[in-house]
Amino acid sequence: MQITRRSLFKIMGAAGGLSAIGSRAAAAENTSDDDYGCLADVGRCIGCRKCEMACSKVNALPPAQTSFEDMTVFDRNRRPDEAAFTVVNRYFSSRADERGQPVPAYIKVQCMHCLHPACASACITGALKKQENGAVTYNPSRCIGCRYCMIACPFQIPAYEFSDPLTPRVRKCTFCFENISKQGGLPGCAAICPVEALTFGTRSELLKIAHQRISEAPLEYVQKVYGEHEVGGTSWLYISKVPFEKLGLYPLPEKEIPHLTETIQHSIFAYMWAPITLFGILAGAMRFFNPQQMSGKPSQIQTEKEV
Amino acid sequence: MKKTFILLMLSAFILLAALASAPDPAKVAEAPPPPPKKVFEDGSPWKAVDQEAAMERARQVPEFVKTVLKESPAERKMRLGEKMPTLADVPYRYMIIDSPILKSPPFDFLSQESAGSSFPGLKIGDIYGPVRFMHLKHAAVVKDCTKCHHYKPDQPDASETTECSACHQKPFDPEFPERPGLKAAYHQQCMGCHQKENKGPTDCTGCHAKNPPDHSVLVKLPDHPDPLMVTKECLRCHDHTANDMLTSAHWLWRGPSPYTVGAEKRVDMGKATNTINNFCVALTSNWPRCTSCHAGYGWKDANFDFSDKTRMDCLICHDTTLTYAKVPTEAGMPYPQLDLKKIAQSVGKPSRKTCGDCHFQGGGGDAVKHGDMNGILYYPSRNCDVHMGGMDFQCHECHKTRNHKISGRSLSLPVAEGSRSCQDCHTDSPHKFHTGEGHEDHNLLNHHLNRHTEHLHCQTCHSPVYAKCKPSKSWWDWSKAGDKKRKVQKDKYGMPDYSWQKGEFQWKESAKPEYLWYNGKVSRHLIGDKINPEETVRLTFPNGGIADPESRIYPFKSMRGKQMADAGNHILIVPHLYGPEGYWKTLDWDSAFEKGMKAAGLDYSGKYEWVETVMYWGLTHETIPAKNALGCVQCHSALKGEKTCNRCHQDNRNVNFKKLAEKGTDFEFMASQGRDVSHLVGQSDYLNFEALGYKGDPIIYGGRFKKLPLGNETAGMEN
Repeated sequence: MQITRRSLFKIMGAAGGLSAIGSRAAAAENTSDDDYGCLADVGRCIGCRKCEMACSKVNALPPAQTSFEDMTVFDRNRRPDEAAFTVVNRYFSSRADERGQPVPAYIKVQCMHCLHPACASACITGALKKQENGAVTYNPSRCIGCRYCMIACPFQIPAYEFSDPLTPRVRKCTFCFENISKQGGLPGCAAICPVEALTFGTRSELLKIAHQRISEAPLEYVQKVYGEHEVGGTSWLYISKVPFEKLGLYPLPEKEIPHLTETIQHSIFAYMWAPITLFGILAGAMRFFNPQQMSGKPSQIQTEKEV
Repeated sequence: MKKTFILLMLSAFILLAALASAPDPAKVAEAPPPPPKKVFEDGSPWKAVDQEAAMERARQVPEFVKTVLKESPAERKMRLGEKMPTLADVPYRYMIIDSPILKSPPFDFLSQESAGSSFPGLKIGDIYGPVRFMHLKHAAVVKDCTKCHHYKPDQPDASETTECSACHQKPFDPEFPERPGLKAAYHQQCMGCHQKENKGPTDCTGCHAKNPPDHSVLVKLPDHPDPLMVTKECLRCHDHTANDMLTSAHWLWRGPSPYTVGAEKRVDMGKATNTINNFCVALTSNWPRCTSCHAGYGWKDANFDFSDKTRMDCLICHDTTLTYAKVPTEAGMPYPQLDLKKIAQSVGKPSRKTCGDCHFQGGGGDAVKHGDMNGILYYPSRNCDVHMGGMDFQCHECHKTRNHKISGRSLSLPVAEGSRSCQDCHTDSPHKFHTGEGHEDHNLLNHHLNRHTEHLHCQTCHSPVYAKCKPSKSWWDWSKAGDKKRKVQKDKYGMPDYSWQKGEFQWKESAKPEYLWYNGKVSRHLIGDKINPEETVRLTFPNGGIADPESRIYPFKSMRGKQMADAGNHILIVPHLYGPEGYWKTLDWDSAFEKGMKAAGLDYSGKYEWVETVMYWGLTHETIPAKNALGCVQCHSALKGEKTCNRCHQDNRNVNFKKLAEKGTDFEFMASQGRDVSHLVGQSDYLNFEALGYKGDPIIYGGRFKKLPLGNETAGMEN
């Protein structure tokens, strides 16, 4: 039996696939029902940008270029960056008010704090971590600046301090980790929101509230909680009166993003069975194809060939 | 012996110290005036009574209501039937929304300071101030208390109109996850309704006053800066604001004149260009004296550069130390003794003090020009002005300002950057419900009172006298000026009747206004307009008439006087009064007129005469408390006799019609407080209907547009 390089890979792939059956990725080990989350009700948001201001203040971010009262920023869509962990964007739905004016919908954008964060999975040093209280946090002392997290994130959230050549950091919403770790603490944005468009609580409770709210007004709300299943679930949840696609919240697979990669990696490296098997097979193969070497006369062959 | 010696020494020392600290009279004249004293007229410490009561109520935190009676609005109406709460159940007409719940945990961390934010020195919880809330007005407009008081606590004895803060307290309470916290409850309820009804503000500053950040950390100045350095420092951050200011009336002293007849589209009229008055007459050639009230530095002649932002005076409006003051004769420069650094580091919102320093003191002294504004309004009693004295209103709270354009208009000047009226807040049917004991029957009048708003401006009844708390100048005769020997007499109010520089004066206190029809448009005499010397020249005159539906009766102060006119050219003269060659130095009218007219670019014939002029000034401030507004009988003499309301109403349901009709402004009380109103007691012709164009009292003869269906001549003859 001839084993080529290609057929070896085939065997390995089959082995990996087999082991994946029935074993889901282990990235969710930290998440539970008592995780904190935030429910953002797009129907309630009035676009006052106070969350942006509170975020800037609580996280001691650099001063904003324009005032937080400047509503002309809505004229273009923005993304969170290293100086703003959250931004509010305005979208016009197809709805119009009594005077025929298009009704704006405001949506706050920030890190979704996925239950199975792709950024943390992609991070090769463990600088990004899903904490027990739900926050996905970043530890700059571990970061090597590879920026894989930025590529991995399905919501394009992490930003990088390209302007800082010496100690650049990846920057993103912290879920005000320190504040919410305290009893009764709130993230800055939810605390300042004047209309409670942001509701802070445990994710399970928020899901209950969200479903109650949308089912009580079925003609107004889209009957879906965005973030309940998307990419395996997120700590931040959205409900809205306009279709989510119109708010920049695009349909995403329900499977967690790191599912495939982590399944492969974790199943290969679980109990070190794959390396052990691989090297076992290799050892067996060597023995099978090269019995002379095993019998202690390797030099002869070499000499013969050289001669 | 030793003791006496020590005592002697001590007293000598005290005497010396007192002498040393006694101010030098020469220096006193140059020192800036002290801030107005925060006291009532009688010297007792000032407080805004209604405001303090409302603030005290706002501080109360009611017991938390855990469960409410869940019922639909229809179910609730059925349950309550006739017991639905009404306006009579409104306990407080005025409230301040400033519950301590809004700043207690979990909001306490909002009061933390942190570096690097764009609001240094300002806690984010403090960016917006508390809300003034017209509770009764909302109740009257919404007409249904249960719209806001949407659920009743689930206890049999609980009030149907339990306060918001009883059910809504902490946000995100795990026990009550779907119940909004107090802050969100207010915002959702107020903004939701304003949006739905398309009425009322939905932006932050529509309800909240915005607090300025602490400038002590922001303003970086050396010690003893000069005024222009201060402005430069302001411009470092507020350059865009200065651009707004460049086109404002307070900087240019001219601007759009939408309410001046024949000049609706002009943008060049104003004090700086072509208006004339019968106080100090005109600005031209008298700049350094007049421009001590200009929001700028150094407008001392016709060459002032109005594009130079660094010459703006930010402090004159934004000083909060109450110490900033300008030298009266230095073209707008402040007193050099002032600590401008300290003043600049504490800038904030304007106040009655900053506005009042110019607007109360116009015409060269307190209460001279405006009949309804004077230094009393720095700290007025509730009776002097119910808004400023009762609720501590600052000027800008009514005169809403956008981009440094301040809304409001006057008769005296053409420039208007927006208009304000009482109805903006109080609606077109402002008589809602009279609260308080003894006023139950008063509510029977509201129907009639609300119909008055079509024909009267609110001030007509609610400011029955002007110059209520301080005499205002009513006559100024320039022709008598120049007699340095004439002895100055004090009139019955203690005001001087003469000044050798200015001529002869008369003053009025608590005076009855002149009532005229007014549709908002003003006829205006401008510099260079021809006059008829035989007639009294009307410098400003309100337009309107009884046949004009837009016109309503409005109270005015008429300022009368004699001023200089060119006898050859028949135009009013612009005199050169202030300066080394001005009349006040030379006492030479010929030279003063020649120089003034030359500066104004007008031809002077060399001959002058004195002509009588009149200037009408609208009266809007000094609003009297509602229960002291003019009553029915004070204008409608037809109600004074035996027959009052029962002229038309047969059913009297134990209402004392007579008492009801005769309630009104209590001139007797005012007279007892020292006001000069004893001649007004018992008057029943406060409005002269014939002079206004009516046939007589409209109660007998019908209104201006409506004939009484069953009007009858004999009804009038009974009185």
